[in-house]
This record gives sequence, C-alpha cells and structure tokens, in this order.
Amino acid sequence: MGKRVLLADDDQLLASLLNFRLKKGGYEVHHSSNGKEVKEYLKTEMPDIIVSDIMMPYFSGIELIDFVRNELKSNVPIIIISSAGNEQNVLSAFELGANDFITKPVSPTELLVRVAREINKK
Amino acid sequence: MSISKTTDLIDQLSQLERSVNEFSFEELSADEAKELKNSFNTFRSCLESRIFAPNQNRDSPKKESPMVANKQVVSQKEFITHVSHEIRTPLNSIIGFANLLKEERLTTSQQKKVEAIQFASNTLLKLINEVLDYSKISSGNTCFESLDFKLHGLINDVMFLCEILLVDSKVELIIDIDESVPQVIKGDPSKLSQIILNLVGNSIKFVNRGFIKLGVSVKEVNENNYVLEFSVSDTGIGISKEKINSIFERYSQADNDTYIKYGGTGLGLSITKEIIEKQNGEIEISSVVGKGTMVSFTLPFSKGDLNNLPLEKTNNFDIKEAKKLLEGTDIMVFEDNLMNQHLILEQLTKWGCNVYTNVTLKKGLNILEAKKVDLILMDLKMPNLNGFEVSKVIRSNQNPLISNTPIVAFSADFTEQDGKDCESIGINDFLLKPYTLNDLMSIIIRNKRENTPANEFGSILQKQMIEPKETTVIDLNSLLNDCFGELEMLNELIKLFKTNVLEFMGNVRIHLKTDNLAEIAFSAHKLKASFAMLKAKGMHNLIVELEANCKANDTDKVKELYELFLNDYPLLENNLNIDLEKLNKK
Repeated sequence: MGKRVLLADDDQLLASLLNFRLKKGGYEVHHSSNGKEVKEYLKTEMPDIIVSDIMMPYFSGIELIDFVRNELKSNVPIIIISSAGNEQNVLSAFELGANDFITKPVSPTELLVRVAREINKK
Repeated sequence: MSISKTTDLIDQLSQLERSVNEFSFEELSADEAKELKNSFNTFRSCLESRIFAPNQNRDSPKKESPMVANKQVVSQKEFITHVSHEIRTPLNSIIGFANLLKEERLTTSQQKKVEAIQFASNTLLKLINEVLDYSKISSGNTCFESLDFKLHGLINDVMFLCEILLVDSKVELIIDIDESVPQVIKGDPSKLSQIILNLVGNSIKFVNRGFIKLGVSVKEVNENNYVLEFSVSDTGIGISKEKINSIFERYSQADNDTYIKYGGTGLGLSITKEIIEKQNGEIEISSVVGKGTMVSFTLPFSKGDLNNLPLEKTNNFDIKEAKKLLEGTDIMVFEDNLMNQHLILEQLTKWGCNVYTNVTLKKGLNILEAKKVDLILMDLKMPNLNGFEVSKVIRSNQNPLISNTPIVAFSADFTEQDGKDCESIGINDFLLKPYTLNDLMSIIIRNKRENTPANEFGSILQKQMIEPKETTVIDLNSLLNDCFGELEMLNELIKLFKTNVLEFMGNVRIHLKTDNLAEIAFSAHKLKASFAMLKAKGMHNLIVELEANCKANDTDKVKELYELFLNDYPLLENNLNIDLEKLNKK
C-alpha cells in the first residue's frame, strides 16, 4: 500500500495538480480544503506525511502544526507551502516543528522529491 | 403592483439560478431535487400569474394592505419592463451555461438532466417574451403562433420535465398516444406544452401514489385540420362535486385546506382554460373524491408539413456546423457584465471566432483601427458605458472601414424608443437576452461583414497590436508538462483556474463596496499563484501589485489596478482558450 499523504490546500487548482502528481507517484492522497476538516480528519487518522498550505481559511497552516505537534503529540513530517513574502510565517512554522517548506509557484516535481525525502528520513 | 412583490420574484429567481448553478449531477439527493422542483414551481406559477393577469392582485386579496397599495409608484408598464429585465439577466446565465454544459462530455443521464434544464429555461424564456408583449396581453389578445412541430417530441420533452418534478414519489407517468395521431402538426407548440405542463404539474401536486396518464387521440379529422383530444387522468385525491364547478375560476382551489396543504396560486387551471378557449378548444373535468381526476381538452390543429420544421432545435445544436460558418470571424464585444462576458467569450471561441472583449471605448477603437472586425456585439445598457453613444462614435469615424462595421445590439430589455434610437444611429440588428446559441449564431451570420480582405485594414497600428500586451500572455507548456502531457488533466486544471478567477472577481466586487481591503488582499494572494502556474507573468505582477496596494490601504490604486485587470483578463482568457483549443486538436 502506498504511503498516505494529507494534502491541505484551499486552492483547488494547485491541489488538483498536486493530487494528480502524488497519485501518479504512488501515494494515497487525502485532500482537504479547509483547516477545520483537516483537524477532524487528523483526530481519527494519522497520515505518513502532511503537506499543507500556510494560508487557509478558518485554521491556518501554523495552527495546524501547533495542533499536530502539541495536541496530537505526533512527529508526522509536515511540509509547508508558502508564498514569497511570507518569510515570517515560514520561520514560525519551523519554530513550531515544520520539517520543510516549498514556495509557490510549486513545482510538483520538486514537491515529490521533498515528500519522498521526508518519508525516507523516518 | 408592489415593490415588495418585485423583490419576491427576484429572490425566487436567484434561488432558482442558484439551484441550477449548484446542481451537482453526481450527488443529487432527493431533498436537493425537491428544492429545485419547488423553486421552479413557485417561480412558474408566480410568473404565469403576472403574465396572464397583470391587472389583478397576485396574492389572496387579504395580504395586500392599503399601505402597500399606496406605494405603487411604478407604472405597470415600467414594472413589467423592469421585472422582465431582472428575469432575463439571470435566465441568460442559466441558458448559457446549460448550453455550454451540454457541449461537454457527459454521461447519458447527465445529458438528459441538462436537456431538462434547457427545456425548462426555454419554456420560461417563452413566457417572459410574452411579458414584453404586454399591451397585447392586457387587452386580452394573446398572440398564438402557427408553427409546424413534432407532437411526439414535444410530449416527450414535457413529460421528461414532469418526471423530474416527480422526484421521490411512487407515481408512474404514462404516455399513451394513439397510433392515428399525426407526427407533425401545425399550431402553437409553446402554448400546448404550457397546457400539458400545467395539467400534469397540477396532478403531480395531488397524487401520492398510482399514476398520471397523458392520453392523446384524434377526435375529428378533415382535409386540412385535426381536432386532437388530450386527457390527463390521475389517481389523486379528487375533487368533490360541489367544488368542481368553480375549479376553473381564478384563485379558486377546491378549499382552503387544499391551499394550505398543497400551495400554489390557484391560477393554473383558469389560465389553462383561457389558453384553450382562445384557440377554440374545449376543456372538461370529471372527478371522484378519493379515486382521481380526469381533465380532458380538445384543440384544433392544421396539418403539418415535415419540410417546414425548424432546422435545428436548441438542444441539438450542431457545433461543427457553427464552426464551418463562423471559423475565423473577428468579433468585438462590448459587454460589461462579467458573467455574460465570460459566457459569450466561451461560446464564440468554441465556434472558432476571434473575440475582442472590451469595457472601454478607447480600447475598442484602437482595435478597430488595427484589425479587421467583422461584427460588433454591443450591449446597449451597460452601467458605465452607453452602448448607443459608443455606436454613434463608431458610426461617425472617418475611416469608412471602421464606420461601416456591422453592429448588433443586445439587451435584456428593448423598448420601442430603443428600436427607434438603434435605427437612427444605424445599428444593424438586435438580439434580446437571454438568447439561445441558435439565435446568436444566426444573427452573426446574417450581419457579419462578408469577405473583406484583411489587408485593407492594415495600418501602422497593426504592428503594435500584434505585439501582445504583457498582461495577456500565458504559456501552457510547463503546466502541460506537470500534467505529464495528459490533456484531460490540463483541461480540468484550466477549468479550476477559471473558477478561481471568477471567485476572485466575486470577492473583489463584494469587498470593494465596503472597502474591505484585507479580504481583497487575501483573495489576490490566493489568485497570484494561479497566474504563476499559467506562466502569466504580466498578470501575476499586476495581482502582486494589487495585493501590495491593499496592504498599503490605497483604495484608489486598488480600484485602478482592478480596472486594468478587468480590461485585460478577458484577452488573457481568450489567448488561453485559443492555446488550449490548439493543444486539444493536436
């Protein structure tokens, strides 16, 4: 069975492309477009890796990391998707325990490499 | 007629529009379908009551307070024009998007549903067209058409719609057409479908189990004419003997309890009777309480001629045919409603036209000087730009090649005065919104400039125009690579891209009103990634600048940049559509 990726991104366009590429790469993908949903999902299931946009409605990527590390006490790898000009957010993300980040526009190939690297580290 | 009723009607319309727009074919639950059905029903009866009884109060009289009556400042004619405009605009979207949906790859069942939406919206369109003929209706001289049509096809269409209305019910719809009934007859097809829809629709309300049967047979026949007999029988609750005599009166329902339980305006049957009798037909009703009701009516028709059938029906629109006739036609569109702009761009591009959409006169004239334009489509009533004025300027241009460009006006309403103005300005033709694809195609073919060599239009400006504007440039190749060359995926992504843009425009429109720049910044922030994915550098930069100005709280600059966006995005999308089309053809 393929490794499970939780993809949290409210941009349907980017999410569809990443979803497509991750699936082609042999991953099982669960996509969610808002933070609330992500939270509910994580309470019942823990994926092998989380890829999350930093800016999402209701529940930001930063809150997500905080929730995973401090409430769920999980060490699941987290890769953050950020935009240029958001350096401060990326720093906070690392402080809270994000493992890696990738800047928009996201190259799917690059993301796949990073995902594979994080999973292999485990 | 009170203003509050206008709002009611418009509310119902937007509800209908929402239902249709949000119609998800895969996940249609019984509840959702019911809601669609209810919206449609309310809307239809409301509309009918307005059309056929413009001089009477629509609701039960007790609801109309003297206060409201005093507020009737708008004359009825203006009111009707206003309402019909308000109805046409959303209906335009329903019809347009249903038409577009039809051209996509659909399963048979999805296709049938889209056809049902098309049929329903075309029926509404016909009803609304009658509102415009207000004077005729109010004097009681409703016009009847005399057209050749296929009776069986019409009945199947109507009954299919009824089947949709029958959601979640243990009722069977039966069609029983006698073999002797001719295939093609001549009469008023839209009135006939309205009658059947009213009667079967009525039965649907009162039948919980059993069947509803529509029977058709020939009652009389002579050399040139038929009298056909139609009957709608059901296994519903029935009507008591005391009530049956008054059932055809206006606002009459069998009793108040019926009204409470089943709703409706009580106008349907009286209108139906009126339509039938004005065509020299007869209607009868018989019923047994608890067993069911049978309404039968007769209508005279002339013999039809197979050769006079309209060439194409809207739902069988042949895109290949359109392409043959229109490919390469250069069309300029003045339309500032973004939804409609989007729609017309998509329609015309699919037919292989080169489209220039404009929101400013200056830009339009620049293109006219540089390019061969075969036809101008001009919205007459744009909030920020007067279509009459724009047409005047074009007509008075010194270059005859520009001033002669055919202009077709389109508008959601059209008054007599508008007609005169169009004529005096020299506007060639006009198209009433909402229009069908057939309407659009035939009006373009009728009016477009014939075979004028492109080089006659050459000018120094042409070279400048060939250099595309930076904000309209895109490149799909890298996205296609990211999709591993899978076109299906690319098409899917482009659709999502367009949705993102529409969402952005919606957000900006809402939040500009309240100067909520933080929301606009968020929206812009999200959108810039989409443009980056399409390698639309110029537009990406524009959005980045817009976001920055939101953060700097410079409302004027944000508005200015958004104007630029509105101006250039349609051109970008046009380029996108052309590139995508090329890739799809490969």
